[in-house]
Amino acid sequence: MTFSVASVLRRRWRGPKYLLAIPAIIWYLVFFAAPIAFIVLYSFGTKDSSRLVPVDLGSLSTKSYSAVFDETFFKTFRATLRISVLATFLCVVIGLPVAYFAAFKVAEKWKAIILAAVVVPSFTSFLIRTVAWRIPLAPNGTFSKWLVDMGWIADNGIQILETPMAVQIAIVYNYLGFMILPLFVALDRIDVRMREASKDLGAGRIATFFGVTLPLAGPGIVAGVLLTFIPMCGDYVTATVLGGAKGNMIGAMIASQFSGAQNWPLGSAMAILMIAAVLLALVVGAVVTLLVPRLFALASPLVQHVRRAIYERSIKRKQIVKQEMRTKIEVLPKLLLAWTVLVLVFLFIPISLVVLHSFNYGGSFTIWSGRASTKWWGELFNGGVVYAMLIRFAVVIIIGVIFARITKRRENFSKKVSSLTMPAAFVIAIVLNGLMTEWYRTIFDFVGIGDSIRNSFIAAFGATVIAVFIGGMSGVALARRPGGWTKFFMATVFLILVTPEIMDAIALATWFPRIKAIPVIGSIFANGWGPFNGGINKLWVGQSLYASAVVTLIVRARLSGLDESLEEAAADLGAPPARAFRQITLPLIASAMVAGALLSFALCLDNAVISTLISEAGSTTFPVALLGATRSTIKPFWGVGAVLLFVVTLSALWFLAVVLRRGGDSASKIAATFTGS
Amino acid sequence: MSKELKMLAPEGFREKLSRRAFLQGGTAVAGFALIAAACGGSDAAPESASDSSAPTGDTAGLASGDWSRVINQSSGTLAMYTWGDYNDPELVGALAGSTLNVTMKVDYYGSNEDLITKLAASAGSSGFDIVVPTGPYIPQMIEKGLIQKFDKTLLPNMSNVDPNYLAQDWDPTNDYSVCKNWGTTGYFYDTTKISKELTTWQDFIDTCMGEASGNCSVIDAAPNYCGMWFWANKINWNTETAADLDACEKFLVEEFAQHIKAFDSYPSTKLAEGAYSIAMAWNGDARQSYVRIEEAGGNPDDWKWVLGSPNTELWMDNYCIAAGAPNAEAAHAWINWDLIPEISIRDLSYHGYHTGMKNMSQLISEVAPDLVKGDMIFFGDEQVATMQTQVITPALDRLVDILNKSKAKAGG
Repeated sequence: MTFSVASVLRRRWRGPKYLLAIPAIIWYLVFFAAPIAFIVLYSFGTKDSSRLVPVDLGSLSTKSYSAVFDETFFKTFRATLRISVLATFLCVVIGLPVAYFAAFKVAEKWKAIILAAVVVPSFTSFLIRTVAWRIPLAPNGTFSKWLVDMGWIADNGIQILETPMAVQIAIVYNYLGFMILPLFVALDRIDVRMREASKDLGAGRIATFFGVTLPLAGPGIVAGVLLTFIPMCGDYVTATVLGGAKGNMIGAMIASQFSGAQNWPLGSAMAILMIAAVLLALVVGAVVTLLVPRLFALASPLVQHVRRAIYERSIKRKQIVKQEMRTKIEVLPKLLLAWTVLVLVFLFIPISLVVLHSFNYGGSFTIWSGRASTKWWGELFNGGVVYAMLIRFAVVIIIGVIFARITKRRENFSKKVSSLTMPAAFVIAIVLNGLMTEWYRTIFDFVGIGDSIRNSFIAAFGATVIAVFIGGMSGVALARRPGGWTKFFMATVFLILVTPEIMDAIALATWFPRIKAIPVIGSIFANGWGPFNGGINKLWVGQSLYASAVVTLIVRARLSGLDESLEEAAADLGAPPARAFRQITLPLIASAMVAGALLSFALCLDNAVISTLISEAGSTTFPVALLGATRSTIKPFWGVGAVLLFVVTLSALWFLAVVLRRGGDSASKIAATFTGS
Repeated sequence: MSKELKMLAPEGFREKLSRRAFLQGGTAVAGFALIAAACGGSDAAPESASDSSAPTGDTAGLASGDWSRVINQSSGTLAMYTWGDYNDPELVGALAGSTLNVTMKVDYYGSNEDLITKLAASAGSSGFDIVVPTGPYIPQMIEKGLIQKFDKTLLPNMSNVDPNYLAQDWDPTNDYSVCKNWGTTGYFYDTTKISKELTTWQDFIDTCMGEASGNCSVIDAAPNYCGMWFWANKINWNTETAADLDACEKFLVEEFAQHIKAFDSYPSTKLAEGAYSIAMAWNGDARQSYVRIEEAGGNPDDWKWVLGSPNTELWMDNYCIAAGAPNAEAAHAWINWDLIPEISIRDLSYHGYHTGMKNMSQLISEVAPDLVKGDMIFFGDEQVATMQTQVITPALDRLVDILNKSKAKAGG
């Protein structure tokens, strides 16, 4: 019972436990809770298109809800749920063997390569990947014609576009990466000894998988399902681009209530019911995942009995089947390898097509003209300048490689220096080229795309800064100052993560006009400040919501793994809280912040749904402009833009991998960081 | 011939425009005596008050006649919110930069409702300078304070617009709007897949429900979608009669919707991909389809354009300046520039819609004699007589509702 004076002092300094989370609390209240409260309110109003805000709140009724339950609209609900559930299931079935293979069957080096191959496609522009599916599926396309020539399909070619089938394929494709990653992390964490013990105890391959591996991988499956199922339910892009009338999904239908149909009450009611449906599906899913292991457990004596009988019989015949057994053992990894390769090919089809079609001679991105040309690249790249840049780049990198070789051999250089050489060379090459050419500036003068790429970067960067700031602080508060507030806050974070994006999008789109009369805040969004216009400010808010929730979880996970003794020691030594935070806590969470920041950046850069509904002139981002272009003809230079964005995102990821590896993390740990666990 | 279709710009093959096509709008036709000449401008209108600086670009030459060609220099960026593929990319790109000294930013919308929602959502601070609404929507935009009055002293080239396209009901004094271009609605079908010769809206509906069931697309805008049924049944498109609207809803939602493959306002690319065998389309977009089909290795001659009958629509899109436009001066400069005859025709050659210039026939023969598929741009008097303009009535909400329900019904 000895309280040190310092600890008493410290307690007095602390203030409320949720102090650090206050920015996040205010942010979520103003830009999440309040806008959604208004959506709830609108859902009880009636449509009045003569007003600026086309809702009459004079007479509240539940008319819109009954309209949703009307057979006409309810059908779309069911179709959406069917597509999402099936797609989630397919993602598990397709992804699990890949994750299993990467986790158990390959060397560490190959793990990293497989994971990178899975992740890379997920970080290309979501929209261009979806659009790219139009290329192989077009009835008049090369692939279709080939199938017809081979006599495998009827003369009218592939009839998949503009059907739910096209949506189903593309949606599985779009979210597969987000399923494989958490699955891998969960499987990779399983102690190999558990599996070995299971086999030693007589369990066969299948019994081990279902009895040990799968239950232990449970959290990964749950994370994967959450990461895929929820965004699928609110998906608006895939159905719009590929679905036609038959493949319509609820996200697209909600969005159209807020634009074309101007029926906000109906749209609001749909959105609220959608969240309810998502939550309900999650509850059902949770019950099922709780019940299934129980059922397995119930069945396990029986299974074990059967197993043992088979095992005993097999021992008797061991001499005979020995040869057979060996081949059996070798078949499984080969099958898994083949499957993994197939999945990776599947993941890379659209991306290769994007690259190929950026060299299309014709005027339309999706239609190959039969002739390759660099003319669309030529609009962006001035030949001579680019060659000079590439040469300078190569020279600097080669010098870097040589330098790294030399330093590695010498003992007196620390390892840090040699491992930092390559990133440094990369930065030098970029800076050098930036100084010697005006290309980085002029690239943004490229009409239509240059602007949108610049806006994408400004928006994603700002949103990331906000997300890291408020997410980082609340992550620290959650890990270090838990209390009664934690439950409410975590519930909010969870709600933000499970709210389909389309809901945030409509909530914010209808919220900003409402707050424009408020003095300071309103004018920021109406007129902007400094070099940033109002639209960019709105994008920062919109994109930061999901990103900050992700950062919160990552930072919290990192910090809760470390005990608080370091900070306490600092406090005991007399450091004021601010200083302890700066000198102890911040370095501890730095790598989590970097990971969170890069993940947010990639997510924001690709954000289409929220951005489309809230952006305005001068703040059109790449996905928004591309979605606009899908209304008419998509020119091949969108492919060029997408490839450029892809290269930038890849560089960012590569940086992250290098930074993390410098901290001694393995591929598995890096993957774990990405998924926030 | 199909090869030459590659470019819709004047280098393409020489489409014989019928005399009738030129008669549209009641403008006097001087005949074809004037030979298209590269130097047509040198002897043209020396006494006109026009600016001496000729528009740049590779336009064949200057049109003869009394034209105003004032170019106002401006500066900064100019944001335009418009329909998809609605200006020659050169004009909004390099040429706007070199001629007007402005950098253009162009965003697209798919329906007037989209435009109004976007502007209303940020009343006065949307950041857009120029918007391009369809005529009947202009009064409510004025009422809601979404667009601002022109400074007509900055738009001297408005005198180049045919008076037939000025002083419309929605803006009798043209204080807020000026014609950008006008067009109509019809459909486009693949004669190799549809054996029957189609001519009317009823044919379109029958084909969609029969031979082309599950392979047809309709325009994703309520007035057009519902209009198809009204036109086919010779009912006034702007009807407010409950019985008509009920019958329309009953047919489109209950019977027709299930046959639709897509609600697509710009079907040209997807037609070329082979997604539809018949598609309802605006005339300019249908004209652009020929290029896409050719590019995809298809035969454009297989496709036939049909102007809807017995009735169809006539719409006119207008340049307006958004309320609170950050760069209203540049907006005026751009609009004024696009009203110069040579620039206007250049735009026309690209998007395929009549831009409402006066003496259009003479202008085309002098500036763009090589224009392709002119019969999809210019219409004869008797054709125009069958076209109806939209009136915004309380029934519009109902039409939007019908489209909304049809979309839900069409889902799988």
